[in-house]
Amino acid sequence: MIKIWLAEIPPRGRLYLGLLLAALLAAPLFIDGYALSVLVLVFYFAYLGQAWNIMMGFAGQLSLGHALYFGLGAYTGAALYVHFGLSPWLGMLAGGAVAAAAGAAIGALGFRFKIGGVYFAILTIAFAEFTRILFDHWLWVGGSGGFFLPVTGGRGGNDLLGLRGSPTMFYYVWLAATIGVLILCRALLSSRLGYFWLAIREDQEAAQALGINTFRYKIFAVMLSAALTAFGGVLYAFYNNNLFPSAIFSITRSIDMLLGAIIGGVGTLMGPIIGAFILTPLGEALTVLLEPLRDLGIKLDGIKQVFYGLCVVVIVVFQRRGVWPWLWRKLGLDGGAK
Amino acid sequence: MPKTRLPVTRRTFIAGASATALTGVAPIRRSFAQGAALKVGVIHPSSGFLAQIGQACNRGAQAALPVLKDMGYANIEIMLGDTESNPDVARAAGERLINAGAQLLVGAFDSGQTSTLAQVAEQRGIPLVINIAAAPPITEQGYKFVFRNFPRAPGIVAGTFEVQKQLFAASGRSPSKCVVLHVNDTFGTAMRGAFGGIYPRMNMPYQIVDYISYDPQARDLSVEVAKAKATGAEILLAVSRLNDAMLLTREMVKQRWEPWGIVAAGPGYYEGAYMKTLGKNGNFVISTVPWYDPRKPLAQRMIEAHQKMFPGQVVDTNTVFTFEAMLVAADAYKRAGSANPQALAAAIRATDIKDNAALSDGIKFDAKGQNDTVRIAGIQNFDGDAKVVFPLSSAERNFVFPVPGWQARR
Repeated sequence: MIKIWLAEIPPRGRLYLGLLLAALLAAPLFIDGYALSVLVLVFYFAYLGQAWNIMMGFAGQLSLGHALYFGLGAYTGAALYVHFGLSPWLGMLAGGAVAAAAGAAIGALGFRFKIGGVYFAILTIAFAEFTRILFDHWLWVGGSGGFFLPVTGGRGGNDLLGLRGSPTMFYYVWLAATIGVLILCRALLSSRLGYFWLAIREDQEAAQALGINTFRYKIFAVMLSAALTAFGGVLYAFYNNNLFPSAIFSITRSIDMLLGAIIGGVGTLMGPIIGAFILTPLGEALTVLLEPLRDLGIKLDGIKQVFYGLCVVVIVVFQRRGVWPWLWRKLGLDGGAK
Repeated sequence: MPKTRLPVTRRTFIAGASATALTGVAPIRRSFAQGAALKVGVIHPSSGFLAQIGQACNRGAQAALPVLKDMGYANIEIMLGDTESNPDVARAAGERLINAGAQLLVGAFDSGQTSTLAQVAEQRGIPLVINIAAAPPITEQGYKFVFRNFPRAPGIVAGTFEVQKQLFAASGRSPSKCVVLHVNDTFGTAMRGAFGGIYPRMNMPYQIVDYISYDPQARDLSVEVAKAKATGAEILLAVSRLNDAMLLTREMVKQRWEPWGIVAAGPGYYEGAYMKTLGKNGNFVISTVPWYDPRKPLAQRMIEAHQKMFPGQVVDTNTVFTFEAMLVAADAYKRAGSANPQALAAAIRATDIKDNAALSDGIKFDAKGQNDTVRIAGIQNFDGDAKVVFPLSSAERNFVFPVPGWQARR
């Protein structure tokens, strides 16, 4: 199946993709800890952006509260590991199930009562907020004082099964997750389910008229998006080894997740990845390049946020569909944005 | 509309974009020049929602430089890093500074961000001196390169009760009832939980008759204050932020609730904006916080340097503990005789600074890298200035307790 998809990409596109993949696979051999941590952030944003994209980009349902699913996954995986010694991979399945159930409940509530668009988005924020308050008071997972996983820092070698190891190990785990979710999304888009989602996104009433059970397929989208986001939450928990409700369930995290996808191109496969590659390294580059100005007494605090804001403004004004469709054409990969 | 073609070809665009992206992620060669100044990466949330505090910490680090130079320590070069109030970014910020040559890290105020930074420090083998972060697990992980010169959360709460005991003993007044009013955010909830856990062990003369919480965004606290007043408590134990601290005090004036005193655990009440806004009504609140010891000569030198460099900016907890983190770094560098991270870490572990600035029995780290000698001060507001009143051995002036009623202050 992957062969068929690759065949759909122009030769030049395959070359670029191959070179990018080779470069990313070999990167830890050549780059240092800083670059590695920046690339981990890139994959983190790309992965979560892709998971969010399923709900918004494919099925057209706006969520501004994806931190909820992220947090549910992170806390489920971490708590099962700390309290019961359960493998994080099993914790991931449990976290995914919990998040999917939460997504289904929110989706059912919203879609059953015809809460759509911006109102549905507000509903997702509300659930994330009250879950944060719940976790602030839940001492079994540390409450507001934070929940800490025992740190090995790679001192005991890399243990992929236990997700305990060095940043390099996590680099490959995040890379694999990003590629995995990309392949999954590609498969979904060419599946019956994917076509139903696109139909719902474009015109829900028309889709309904064609006999598509829009309620059911929207719920599927929310559940899948929530579960994938929760998987990312588990990876995050084991990478950072500490969870604070105020940081995990914050609206800022939800916004961070969707920013890359918006910059790259909502509804496109490569959009969240391109968006993550634009925002994170360029934001860091800006910090490094402007560092000499600090010596001149110019304050640079918050410059990255200003840059992110400018990116969004530029995209909204000049490239409403995001960078990827434009880049697709500019790279000579025409044939329609994919 | 005619299309404008930019004079940029596809190749030049790709080359330019790649170069720019690589500038951000390319390795920066680590350079340890022999005999040069010690390069200290100072990492705080200087943007985002914690920006104000992070910048106050940075000022503490900068104020330390002239003082340390006068004390005969080697030069220190500060390299500033920003966590953007985000634990995810803290790791990259730490890695960036280490790559740029930082030989020691200082930071990072917030426990989540500090915990992430501690992992970077441990993985890269670069010492981290934590200035402020109270979560106990940070120094319970068996780290070899992480040191904390700040009390852990339970110690802060126990200190709050200790200060009150001193207050009651010195004043000869023993209240029988106390009411806790706390903001319902992360900090307030954590403090409320700690009060519940530690209070029974502290043998306080009073009984906590109620815990009343309120939303951080509350615009009106009339119900909460009325409820607290109705308890008949002589002591109000408050956990607030700045805005709600002002709101709460105004409401107390309005309802003419005049307990023996307000004891604040944490920020809000000693801040300049609180005292300036409330005038005489802001007087006499006692805040219990880790603070500087005004009797210590180094504390005076720190205040002078800070006022000279940042006139109008307040010296507070953020200042003194970041200042001391820089002192730890300079002292270790001097004794280690090199910027080798292993040697620096070994020197920090052997730290025994007796003449420091904070209210503590010097700076000395235990096997876990924790300095548990930091004590909690009681500071009372007097006409726009917060003065240390407890412990009595460090008092800048006499305490006032019970406090005069609202009308009597005019």
